[in-house]
Amino acid sequence: MTGTLAIVGFGLSTIGPGIATGLIFAAYINGLARQPEARGLLQPIAFLGFALAEALALFGLVLAFVLK
Amino acid sequence: MSDTGKKPGSPNEEGAFWSIIGYLVSGLLIWGGGGLLLDKWLGTSFLGIGGLLLGVTSAIYLIWLRFIRD
Amino acid sequence: MISQSATPTNPGFVPPGAKDFQFPPIWGDSIYLTKPVILIGLSVVIISSFLLAATRNKAVVPGRLQFAGEGVYTLVRNTLGRDVIGPEYLKFVPLLFSIFCFILVNNIFGIVPLIQFPTMSHIGFPVAVMIFSYVTYHYIGVEKHGLVKYLKDICFMPGIPKPVYLILTPVEILTYFVTRPLTLSLRLFANMFAGHLLLLVFAFGGEYLISSGLIMKVLGVFSFGMAVGLSFFELGIQCLQAYIFTLLSALYIAGALAEGH
Repeated sequence: MTGTLAIVGFGLSTIGPGIATGLIFAAYINGLARQPEARGLLQPIAFLGFALAEALALFGLVLAFVLK
Repeated sequence: MSDTGKKPGSPNEEGAFWSIIGYLVSGLLIWGGGGLLLDKWLGTSFLGIGGLLLGVTSAIYLIWLRFIRD
Repeated sequence: MISQSATPTNPGFVPPGAKDFQFPPIWGDSIYLTKPVILIGLSVVIISSFLLAATRNKAVVPGRLQFAGEGVYTLVRNTLGRDVIGPEYLKFVPLLFSIFCFILVNNIFGIVPLIQFPTMSHIGFPVAVMIFSYVTYHYIGVEKHGLVKYLKDICFMPGIPKPVYLILTPVEILTYFVTRPLTLSLRLFANMFAGHLLLLVFAFGGEYLISSGLIMKVLGVFSFGMAVGLSFFELGIQCLQAYIFTLLSALYIAGALAEGH
């Protein structure tokens, strides 16, 4: 078995954003279920949090390919 | 026409999530990739990481403009 | 670095990899006629004959076959066409319905016994389907707004200071012309490739374990059980990916039709 350690690092770095995305949407769905009329207020916050968490995952992907 | 209360043609939620990923990928690709290529060419080391940060910042600013501002 | 000792009697476990996606030519030595190509043809025959059979005896009270056909069509027309695209949706339903059926049948080949190969795990096929959707949504946008206004809408977001355009416009252009089609086809390809590889790992591993010692045989049976269970999991992924591909095509068409995107 051969491979690069960078890919293992990428695998580890996706755990955090994965959990973060799960938490963001859990809170978003929870909020919508309690108060459906708050959608307009919650949706931008959920999008922004999702974008920030996803940016970290993509950083990991880029650095896994770049750092040798 | 639609009974889900969504304005037809407006970016709805599923679309927004995929668009967010698309913007982040292209921001990282164009500025981060450009910075890394300049690094290779000029022999510096700060342009790559600066480009990656600029790419993420511009992508998140674009997401803010498109989905969050209004 | 983990290396396994290999002896002539026990050659060691050979993990499945990208080589398991390459098929020998079926007839002669023509590289154009392999298993995926045969499967694409088979899928066209299956879809055509199913839809012809479902619509041949049209009745007000639908039979079983007509009910199934109408169910798929209603799903695509209402949730993917009407709710996403809006008033002009009817023009695009044939395209969306063809894409959905084609991808769905080709994905499900991955878990049908004796076939067991999702055609979409070869990158060429998702790219070919993507080209239809890509050309359609740009053509529709240009036709509706005119070339100059369409490109201007893509490149310049309203309401930001002028120097910022220098940073944002390349990102926008890359998103619309490269990243969107790239992610559209890569998502389908990667899901099918990884899913098939996952099933291969459990099936090959089970086969290898069963040919080893006594305790390993029990684990091998467990591994085969996992492969069967994961097949049903894969069925869900395969339907979901066909749905997402069609949904995103509809969303891009809707975006091209909308004012200012």
